[in-house]
Amino acid sequence: MGSNASIMLQQEDLQNICQQTGFTGKQVQRLYSRFKLLDKRDCGYLTREDLLIIPEVNINPLGERLIDVIMEDYGENNQINFKQFMYLLAKFRQGKIKSSITNYNTRESKLRFLFDMYDRNHDMKIDRTELLDVLKMMVGGNIHEDQIATIADHTIGELDKDGDKSITFEEFCKTLERIDADDKMSMKFLS
Amino acid sequence: MYQNKSSIFLILILGLIIHKYYCKEQTYVHNQAKPARFHVAEFNFDHVSDVYAITLWILLGSLAKVGFHLSHRLTEKFPESCLLIILGLIVGALLYITHLAEQKAYVLNSDTFFLFLLPPIILEAGYFMPNRPFFDNLGTILLLAIVNTLFNTLCIGLTLWGFSFTPLYGGTVFDMLPCFVFAALISAVDPVAVLATFTEIHVNDMLYIVVFGESLLNDAVSVVLYRMFDSFAKIGQENLIPTDIILGCLSFFVVALGGVLIGIIFGVVACFTTKFTEHTPVLEPLIILVYAYLAYLTSEMVSVSGILAITFCGMVMKQYVSFNISKKSDATTEYVLKMLSSIMETIIFMFMGLSTVSDHHSWNTGFVLMTLLCCLVYRVIGIAIFANLANCWRLLELTRIDMLIMSYGGLRGAIAFALALILDETKIPRKKEFVTATIAVVFFTVFVQGITIGPLVKCLNVRRKQIEEPTMSAKLTNRMMDHVMTCLEEISGSGGSNSLRDKCRNLDRNYFKRWLLRETPQEKMDIKLLQTFKKINMQSAMKVHDTSKGLVPAPSSSAIHTSASGTNLRPESTFANFSQILAANLPEQTVPDLMFFENHHGAEQYRDDAQMHHFLDTNLYRARPRATIHLRSQDESAGTDGVAHNRFEKSYHHRNHIYIPSRLDKEQIHGRKAGKTSGGTGRSTASKAGSSNITHSHTHSHSPKHHTSSVSKQQNEKLRSASPVSDQKQQQQQQQLSKTRSKSPSLSSDQPIRPSSPTTEMYRPSPPISIRIDNDDDNEILDGTTAAERICPWRRSSIPDAARSTSTSPVNDPSNTTQTASNTNDPNLHPGPLTSANYSGTYHKSPEYLGEYATTTKPEEHLSRPNIRDLFNNQSRIPDEKQENDMETNSDESTTQL
Repeated sequence: MGSNASIMLQQEDLQNICQQTGFTGKQVQRLYSRFKLLDKRDCGYLTREDLLIIPEVNINPLGERLIDVIMEDYGENNQINFKQFMYLLAKFRQGKIKSSITNYNTRESKLRFLFDMYDRNHDMKIDRTELLDVLKMMVGGNIHEDQIATIADHTIGELDKDGDKSITFEEFCKTLERIDADDKMSMKFLS
Repeated sequence: MYQNKSSIFLILILGLIIHKYYCKEQTYVHNQAKPARFHVAEFNFDHVSDVYAITLWILLGSLAKVGFHLSHRLTEKFPESCLLIILGLIVGALLYITHLAEQKAYVLNSDTFFLFLLPPIILEAGYFMPNRPFFDNLGTILLLAIVNTLFNTLCIGLTLWGFSFTPLYGGTVFDMLPCFVFAALISAVDPVAVLATFTEIHVNDMLYIVVFGESLLNDAVSVVLYRMFDSFAKIGQENLIPTDIILGCLSFFVVALGGVLIGIIFGVVACFTTKFTEHTPVLEPLIILVYAYLAYLTSEMVSVSGILAITFCGMVMKQYVSFNISKKSDATTEYVLKMLSSIMETIIFMFMGLSTVSDHHSWNTGFVLMTLLCCLVYRVIGIAIFANLANCWRLLELTRIDMLIMSYGGLRGAIAFALALILDETKIPRKKEFVTATIAVVFFTVFVQGITIGPLVKCLNVRRKQIEEPTMSAKLTNRMMDHVMTCLEEISGSGGSNSLRDKCRNLDRNYFKRWLLRETPQEKMDIKLLQTFKKINMQSAMKVHDTSKGLVPAPSSSAIHTSASGTNLRPESTFANFSQILAANLPEQTVPDLMFFENHHGAEQYRDDAQMHHFLDTNLYRARPRATIHLRSQDESAGTDGVAHNRFEKSYHHRNHIYIPSRLDKEQIHGRKAGKTSGGTGRSTASKAGSSNITHSHTHSHSPKHHTSSVSKQQNEKLRSASPVSDQKQQQQQQQLSKTRSKSPSLSSDQPIRPSSPTTEMYRPSPPISIRIDNDDDNEILDGTTAAERICPWRRSSIPDAARSTSTSPVNDPSNTTQTASNTNDPNLHPGPLTSANYSGTYHKSPEYLGEYATTTKPEEHLSRPNIRDLFNNQSRIPDEKQENDMETNSDESTTQL
C-alpha cells in the first residue's frame, strides 16, 4: 500500500513539500499513504466526515473542535488536500535542533494552533463564551453550568492582565511559559 | 506539654525506685532461698529487650533526624543520609568499644532489612510515583534498568576478574563466579539512596524519574543476576552446564513479570476490598498497607522481585483506592506511608554506619579501588551508550548534562550492602573483601557523590523541578494539548505515546474504574480538570487563611485582610460577578480550613475562633451550598437543572424541617414566581442579582455611610411595613430569617425586588418567617452601623478599613449584610458571616452540611493532594453517601470539629 501510494505522489511535489515543511521524503510518503487511506473516496481531499470516522478522534472530547479548526483554518470548503494536510502536520514536527525548525514548527506557531482551538471567531481574543464552549467539551456534560462558568471565569481571571475579560494571545503564551509546550506539541513522524 | 514532661519524669523516677527495691528483693530471694513472695512490681528487661531495643533505635533515628534539621547549615551542606551514616558510625564505634556489637540485634541483619526496613520505602515510592512522567519515560527506564544493569554487571565482573591475574590485588585470588556475584550486587543503583539524595536536590521530574525508575526496576535484574551467580558459585564453576545459564536467563522474565503481576493482583484486590469499606473507614489505611506488604511477602516467598511487586501494588492502589476510601483515610494512608518510609530510611542509613564498625572486614586496597573505578567508569559508559540509544525514540532528548547527572546519580546503597552481608562465606571465600568493597563503594557514592551532586546540579544549571502552583489555565491547556496531540497522532497514523495513553485511559475508564470503584465516574468527564480547580481553590483558601493569621481579630489589620481577600483569593477580582461565582466554588476549602484552624491554632486562640470562621466565610462565602448543588447534580446521571435542584431540596428535607414551609412562604409572599423555579434558573438569577448588588456596593463602598444609607433606602422603598420590635427580638428573628432565606436558592434573587407590605402582613400569623422579613430590613434602618461593620463586626473601630473590606467582599447586597449582622450579634450561633445570601442557612446547619458535603464530594475529591495535605488529617469526611441515616452521626462528628 505504502509504496503504491508514494508512486502517485509527484516527485516535484514531494520535494516541494519537503523543502517547505522540513519533512523527509520518507515521512512525506508515509503520510501520503496515510492520507490516501483516510481518503476513502479517493478524491484527493479529506472532508470532516473522513476524519471523524477515525474512532479515537470520534470519542475524543475535542475531536470535533480540532477538525473544525483543521477544516476552517487549513482547508477550505470542508475539504483539506494533501498539501494543506502537510502544512497542518508540519506544525507538530519536532523542532528541537535549530536546523530542523522551519517557520511552521516554531514554538509560537504551536501555541498559535492551541490558541486557535479556543478562538473560533478569530478576533485574537479568547472570550468567556469561547472558553466556556471548550470547557464544556472537555469537562463533559453532567457538570452544572455554573460550575463550568466558574472555572471559565477563574481561568480568565488567571490570565487576563488588562482586565478586558478576555485572553489575548500574549496573555495566553504567558501561562505556557512554564510548560514544555514545545515538546508536548511535537510528535515523532515515522519515516 | 509541661505537664506531660513532668509526668514522664515522675514515672521514670518511680520506675527507678521500683527497680532498686525489686533488685534488692531479688538478691534477697536468691540468697535466702525463701518461698516466693508476691512482688509489688517486677523489673523484667529480658521480657522486652528486643522490642525495647528496636523502639529505642527508632527513637534515636527520629531524634537524630529532628536534630539535624534544627541546624539549617548542616542539612544544607550534607545530605541527611550522610549525617545518618556518620551518626551510625559513632554509635557503632561506641558499641564496638563496649562490646555490645556482638549481640545480634545491633547490626544490620539482611532479614530485617529485606522484610521490614525496605518494603515501606519502596511502597511509598510506588504509591507516590508520578505516573505521568513514569510512563512517559518507561522505555528509557526499562532500557536503563535492564540492559544497563546487565551491561554494568558483566563489565564490572569481567574487569574485576580480569585484574585478579595481575598483581593488583596483592596476590589475593578472586574466582570468576564470586566476582560476578559481587558485580551483580554492586552494579545495581539503589532506590533508597537515590530517593534520599534526589529528593533533596529537586531536579526536574524527567531526570528524577529516569534515575529513580531505573533504580526501582533494576531490582529484578540484580536479584536474578545475584541469585543466578550465587547459585552458580554454589554449584561450582566446573559443574555448570549450559542449561543452567539458559534457565537463569529465563528466570529473569519470571522474576520481573511475576513480581509485577503479583503486585498488580494484590493492588487490584486491595482496591476491590476498599469498595466495601464504607462502614469501616478506620480500617482503610490498614487494608492498604497490609495488602501491599502481603504482595511483597508473597513475591519474596515465591522468590520473584518483591520490590517490583510492592512498587506496582502501590501504583495500582494509588490509582483507584483514593477514589474509594474516605478522605481521612486517604490522608492517613499517605501520612503513615511517609512516616514509615522516612523512619525506615533513617534506620537503614544508621544501621549501615553501625554495621561498618565490625570485625568482618578485610581491606584490599587494590580490589576496593578497582571496584570503585569500575562502578564509576561503567556507569558513565553505560549511561552514555543507552541514553543515546534511548534518544533515538525519545521526544524530549536527554542532553549531555542530563546524562552526566544520571550517571552521577547512580548511587549504591543499603541493598547492595545487605546482599553482601548474606553471602555464604563457605562458597565465596572472599566475602570479607566483598563486604569491605561494598561498604567503600556505598560510602563513596553516598558521601562524595551525594554531597557534590547538589552543587553540581546547581553549577550545571540543570532544569529544576518547578514548584509552582497549579493554574487552571495551565492545566486546561495541558489537557487540551493531550487531546489535540492524540487526535493528530491518530489522524497522521503515527501512533505515538499520546494515542497509546489515550487507549489506556479508555481501558481504565471502561473496565477498571467500573469494577474497582464504588461509583463509576461520569464518562467523558474530565475529573482531573475539576480536581485541579478544586485544588486551586483550596490553596487560595489556605492562602487567605495564612495571610490572615493572627491579624483577623485586630482592627488595624483589616487592610491586610482586604489585600488578602482581594489578591490571593481572587486574583481575578476585577470581575465582581465572577469572583462571586468563584466564591461559590470554594466548597471543601472552607471545610478543611476550619479544620486547619482548629488543629493548628491551639486552645489559646479559641477566642479567635469566631472571628476566623467569620473571616473565612466572608472570603469564601457561598461555597458550600453551591458545592452541594453541583455535586448533587453531578452525581445524578440525569442531571438536568430541575432535577438537580430538587435533589438539593430533598437533601435538606430530613434535617431541616423549616425548609419547606419557609420556601413556600416566600413564594407566596412574592407571588412573582408562579411555581417552583428550576434550580438552574433560580440560581442564575440569583447570581445575576448578586452581581448587580456587587456593582452596587462597589460604587458606594468608598463611603460606608453612604453605602448603608443607600442600602437601607433601597430596602425601605421596598418594604414599607416595618414594625418596630425590640432590638433583641429583631436579632433573633433575623437569624431565623437568614436561615430560612438560605434554604431557598431563589430567594435572594428576589430580595432586591421584594414585595410590599400587604403580602407580608397576610402571612404574619403563619410561621414567623414573614415577620422576620420585615424586621430584618427594619433593623437595617434602625441599626446605625455600616454594612461593612455588619460583615466584619470586629472592625467596628476602623470604619474606613471596614468599608474597603466590604468592597472586596464580593456580595454586599442588603440581604447579606443583614444576615451577617444578625449572625454576629448572636453568640449562640456560629458567628459565621453568611454572606452567601442564597443558601446561608446551610451555614447554621454547617455540621450537617459538612456531613453532607463529606459524602457528596467523592467523585472528584480523590487525588487532590495539595502541599498542605498534612494539614487536613482531621478533615471530616464520611464515606457513606447513600445512607441518609448516617447523616445524623456525621453531623455530630463534624460538630465536634467545628
